[in-house]
Amino acid sequence: MSSLPALFGVLVFTFLLMRVLPGDPAVFFASGPNAGKEEIEIIRKQMGLDKPVPEQLLLYLYDVGRGNLGRSLMTGQAVTTDLRDRLPASLELTLTALLIALVSAIPLGVLAALKPGSVIDHGVRLFCALGVCVPTFVSGLLLIYVFYYLLGLAPDPTGRIDVFTSLPPSRTGFLTIDFLLAGDVDGWWAAFRQLILPAATMALFVIAPLARITRASMLVSLGSDFVRTARSVGLSWWRIVVTYALRNAILPVITIAGIVFSTMLGANVLVEKVYSWPGVASYALDALLSSDYAPVQGFVLLMASIFVVVNLLVDVLYGIADPRVSI
Amino acid sequence: MRLRYCGPFFGAVGALALLLAAEPALAQSRAETLRYVTGASVNTLDPNVPGSTREAFAVSLSTYDRLVSFGRKQLNGKWVFDLDKITGELAESYDVSPDLMKLTFHLRKDAKFQDGTPVTADDVKWSLDRAVTAPVLGKAQLLTGSLTSADQFKVIDPLTFEVTLPKPDKLALPNLATVYPIIINSKVAKANATADDPWAISWLKEHTAGSGAYVIESFKPGEQVIMKRNEAWNRGSPDKSASFKRVIVQTVPEPATRANLVERGDADITVDLQASDIQSLESKGTLKVVSTPQYNSVTFISMNNTIPPFDNINVRRAVAYALPYDDMFKAALFGRGTPLFGASWTDGKPTTSAFPFPQPIKLDLDKAREYLKAAGMPDGFSTTFSFNVGQASTAEPMAALVKESLAKIGIKVDIQKLPDAQMSTQINEKKLPFFTEGIVAWLPSTDYFYRNFYTGNQRWNYSSINNAELTATAQEARFEPDKAKYDQDGLKLNAIHFAEMPQIALWQPSQDAVMATSIDGYTYQFHRQVDYRDLRRK
Repeated sequence: MSSLPALFGVLVFTFLLMRVLPGDPAVFFASGPNAGKEEIEIIRKQMGLDKPVPEQLLLYLYDVGRGNLGRSLMTGQAVTTDLRDRLPASLELTLTALLIALVSAIPLGVLAALKPGSVIDHGVRLFCALGVCVPTFVSGLLLIYVFYYLLGLAPDPTGRIDVFTSLPPSRTGFLTIDFLLAGDVDGWWAAFRQLILPAATMALFVIAPLARITRASMLVSLGSDFVRTARSVGLSWWRIVVTYALRNAILPVITIAGIVFSTMLGANVLVEKVYSWPGVASYALDALLSSDYAPVQGFVLLMASIFVVVNLLVDVLYGIADPRVSI
Repeated sequence: MRLRYCGPFFGAVGALALLLAAEPALAQSRAETLRYVTGASVNTLDPNVPGSTREAFAVSLSTYDRLVSFGRKQLNGKWVFDLDKITGELAESYDVSPDLMKLTFHLRKDAKFQDGTPVTADDVKWSLDRAVTAPVLGKAQLLTGSLTSADQFKVIDPLTFEVTLPKPDKLALPNLATVYPIIINSKVAKANATADDPWAISWLKEHTAGSGAYVIESFKPGEQVIMKRNEAWNRGSPDKSASFKRVIVQTVPEPATRANLVERGDADITVDLQASDIQSLESKGTLKVVSTPQYNSVTFISMNNTIPPFDNINVRRAVAYALPYDDMFKAALFGRGTPLFGASWTDGKPTTSAFPFPQPIKLDLDKAREYLKAAGMPDGFSTTFSFNVGQASTAEPMAALVKESLAKIGIKVDIQKLPDAQMSTQINEKKLPFFTEGIVAWLPSTDYFYRNFYTGNQRWNYSSINNAELTATAQEARFEPDKAKYDQDGLKLNAIHFAEMPQIALWQPSQDAVMATSIDGYTYQFHRQVDYRDLRRK
């Protein structure tokens, strides 16, 4: 509840920002051959731009209050429909990418911390640096080139599912889950194959911060008194590293993972473009380029809400990792 | 130790490779399916909706029929649409009265809508009434063919339909073959109309009610459209047979990915690749590349004739002689197009009445300096040169060359790259002094180009030229029935264009359709998209 004022602020700010931008959506969308002043006026009226800005804002807030985010000129659909169709795609991709990133970053970080200054440490550092230096569209195109074009192992990088595969009944919007619910193993496999390359591309980019933070916080906890005590009483290596050191080191990793997740969801536009992934980020970018107000406003509101939810989730996870924290 | 730390990484790559290795099972017969990939997207099923995209136009050509359609002809060995050959589509035949004021269409007796009901003259009347009265895009287009009011359309009997014109307008008939005047099943549309929306505009945006060659199977705006063939469709010809059973139109934003898809054989055809990719694909020789100069379009550098210093004719001429045309042509288009510079006119007069036409201008810095001196600005001036982000791949290298070359005669240029919506807004408000744009005319007759792009205080008059003689001649040419006199007018217009130099025509870019070698029948269409009905697999 306490986040409502923040969401309201975001809403009004985005609304005003879009109006300040110098592009006029009506002129842009009326750019078919022969579209003249009259067509521009029609579109302006359709978008409600013929009214003064304060009135537009009130109307917009009233609509948002009733769950109506307006209509996108670009796709011709209601923004809520567009976002509902596209958000699961982005979430599925981002969650998978985050999972891949965590599964590879935490062991890498731990290994690096166990032997600081060693070949392993430098190797991990190099790998992370590479991952973070190479922009996602470069690594994306590279992966496509190798796995799709050269080796022919990956399916064609065009969206969530092969165009020839029929879709399962939509229950969650997550294709991999929907296929499982429908009991369609071939379909699940097809969806999974489409998912793995873009997810790997995104994961490569975020492994670095996660691995680095794991390493740093592991170093601190490995050097602490309780680990020395555990060592001195002769506990097993595994128990020292995983139960004592890692559990204490995981808090900052959770925080970073929360932030990384939120940024990934909004910033994975390049991955979505390269893989023709029908997600929310590429939708928002297209809308921004054509000054289509409603989708951009809807997208920002959605992202702000997700950020609030993710923060809440991170707090809950804190409680699990560290019983001293209460929410 | 080294191996141990590499483990997770190589393990992951190995697992990735393994996971991806299985072959997909194709449910439908691939050979009977056409898969078309594009960077743009389809946003409506009714091309008339304000804001509809070019891809939406292409889809509507397959889902709806019009009364008539264009034939095709060969231009330098490539098939292109033919403005002068108009054949019946829903009309079996048509008569034009001797005074060119009345068009009578005889509808096919066997034509049916996709729901099985017959196509009648009432449906035609309702559809054309909608195109000229509803707030749709068709209105402005049909205006160019003197089709403005529902009173002009008359039902004679269920299979005969008559159009009356106020003036003998040559473009009336071709206008009925353009994208907008689709023939809609009026019973279905009326059933879905509301009091606020008597023309069912919002319903038709997401549904079709036509008689076209393809039926919409699924439509996801911004992602893909899947269509299946309407087996009852018999409006085809050997050139336009709609031979594919299924058509998939898919949005793939990244041009490199589109190139990969076509090269791997997963997609059959695409028309919007980057020039550099097309070159490398062409040299490999495994695909068919059909390059057609877009003969109804032109890319130019425009100068706002009302903003100083471009209001001075000598400044415009100076700029025209200071551009490095050959280098720009190579850098921007890799030479893929028809140049409109460097022509030779023996007696200083235009050699053609057609538009766009090649002008006798070339890089000549001494001449440019003289003109600049004549304009009273021997030391040059400063200005900005704008282009939009959407055209960056061709406009960016071009802008750099313009800047470099103009600096040699003292004109300092700042390059301004604008988001598309911003650029069109500024053009509409006539605020840009110096910029590049491209134009296209669906019905490329000389008077149409001049009337739309060189007259009046309106958006498409990019150079804001206001020349009384040009305006009068273009208007006169519009209703000129005599071919010889029309050509005279065309020559005159072209001569004025060269003398006034309102904007500098650069070239006509090629439309490069890249397709699998098995695809046949590709024809360059006026809307610059693929007409899926043209294609077949050998």
